[in-house]
Amino acid sequence: MNTAIRLENIYRAFKNHFWQKKKEVLKNISLEIYQGEIFGFLGPNGAGKTTTIKIITGLIKPDSGKVTIFGHNVDSMEAKKRIGFLPESPYFYEHLTGYEFLKINALLSNYIDYKDRVHDLLEKVGLKEVANLPLRKYSRGMLQRIGIAQALIGDPDLLIFDEPLTGLDPIGRKEIKDLILEQKAKGKTIFFSSHILPDAEAVCDRIGIIIDGEVKEVGELNKLLKRGIKTDEISLEDWFVSKIKKNHA
Amino acid sequence: MHRIWAIAENTFKEGLRQKILILLIVFSIILIFISIFLEPFALGESPIILRDLGLAAAALFGILVVIIIGSNLIHKDIEKRTIYTVITKPVKRSEIIIGKFLGLLLLIAILQCAMIVIHQLVIFIYEGSFDLPLFITIPFSLLEIMILLGILMLFSSFSTPTLSAIMGIIFFVIGHASPDLKLFADQINAAPLKYLAYGFYYILPNLENFNLRIDLVHKLPIFTDQIMFSICYGFIYTIFLLYLSIIIFEKREFK
Ligand SMILES: Nc1ncnc2c1ncn2[C@@H]1O[C@H](COP(=O)(O)OP(=O)(O)O)[C@@H](O)[C@H]1O
Ligand SMILES: [Mg+2]
Repeated sequence: MNTAIRLENIYRAFKNHFWQKKKEVLKNISLEIYQGEIFGFLGPNGAGKTTTIKIITGLIKPDSGKVTIFGHNVDSMEAKKRIGFLPESPYFYEHLTGYEFLKINALLSNYIDYKDRVHDLLEKVGLKEVANLPLRKYSRGMLQRIGIAQALIGDPDLLIFDEPLTGLDPIGRKEIKDLILEQKAKGKTIFFSSHILPDAEAVCDRIGIIIDGEVKEVGELNKLLKRGIKTDEISLEDWFVSKIKKNHA
Repeated sequence: MHRIWAIAENTFKEGLRQKILILLIVFSIILIFISIFLEPFALGESPIILRDLGLAAAALFGILVVIIIGSNLIHKDIEKRTIYTVITKPVKRSEIIIGKFLGLLLLIAILQCAMIVIHQLVIFIYEGSFDLPLFITIPFSLLEIMILLGILMLFSSFSTPTLSAIMGIIFFVIGHASPDLKLFADQINAAPLKYLAYGFYYILPNLENFNLRIDLVHKLPIFTDQIMFSICYGFIYTIFLLYLSIIIFEKREFK
């Protein structure tokens, strides 16, 4: 299987103030995401999911360790051309309309004939009616959808979504899960994070569990469940809670 | 090129939405009108005062807009996290810096033209004829604004908007005191101070190079070699500042 993302021994610490001690946020993270899979990156709040994603997308650098995207350095144009990124609780230029926003993103993704592409995506994420409304008037769910549209606009091979389901109602969650499955069917690789476990059960091929900056488990969901707990009825949520408790014990 | 244009367009649109622009246009109009009511006190000097005040106001408002918007140009994008989806697209960081620079410059160029047109109308109403040579000030005040915007982008590529704005104001003031600095350097005897003064004189931008107001208001001759020098000076200085900004911005993290 080809590798889409490879993280090798990623370490990163942060200092909030210069007099404070450095806080280790990522301690030796190694992960391999295969081409064509849906990978759920799961863990409680503050575990280091967003920090890992920022390293994968080149927004920050690891203190040590190596990241490659389809074998390319994250800062290279080859890597950037193949990534579509949805940030956590995304913020966009409020003064732009949905259409203008996607137009700019299409141009940045080198779609010079952007018109059809922008219309297609507005249609796809169901925002055609509000295309000419400024983003500041969009609801949370609409922002999430325009965020996904901007991630898809360059037709990238690898989609990286940071908490795509958080803050959405059940219908919104269903729509985004369907969209993730649809992208997989097209041969795309999807890496998404979540702190809500049942999200993963429906869509993921494999999951990775991060707690306190360390990857605790990686593998196929059903195998992990079997290995962790004997009974069939137990939910991922319970399993997760037991994992965290063990970690803190 | 289309990527730079996309960023420039966004910067331009964002600037347009800021209410300070409307405010400044209103202010410049008010200022020009005030110069008319000055006439009874001006003892026949009013044509000169009308021109001088109008041009000075136009220049000053250009500077104000560049400092207010320019010092926030990069910071706002990082603070509001709108930069995340831009940086992760196949865009070079240099293209982001250049795009933002051009977008704001275009906005101020249009603002300057609008103010000079209003100024011309006031002169026309007042004197029955236009004073078209005054339009020559636009490219020159834009050269000055280019340098100041370069300085603002340089400082905002690593520091806060407040510090960037303060540096912009300091460079503006020192830049216009440049001839005095030279005079000071020429006359002083203490060697270390003399070289320090010369050092500052040569390193800091000499913004008086772009000041044609006195020449135009008093209808003095303007020499082409002086103009050529100003243009080259403005471009080289700006390119140098943008180059430094890009080097710093390329190293930057977005936490
Ligand atoms: N820029 C930063 N400076 C200091 N600490 C940070 C910074 N970013 C994240 N952290 C800390 O790193 C930890 C992990 O954060 P994050 O990656 O956002 O977690 P998650 O996305 O899993 O909720 C948190 O404790 C957070 O406070
Ligand atoms: Mg997070």
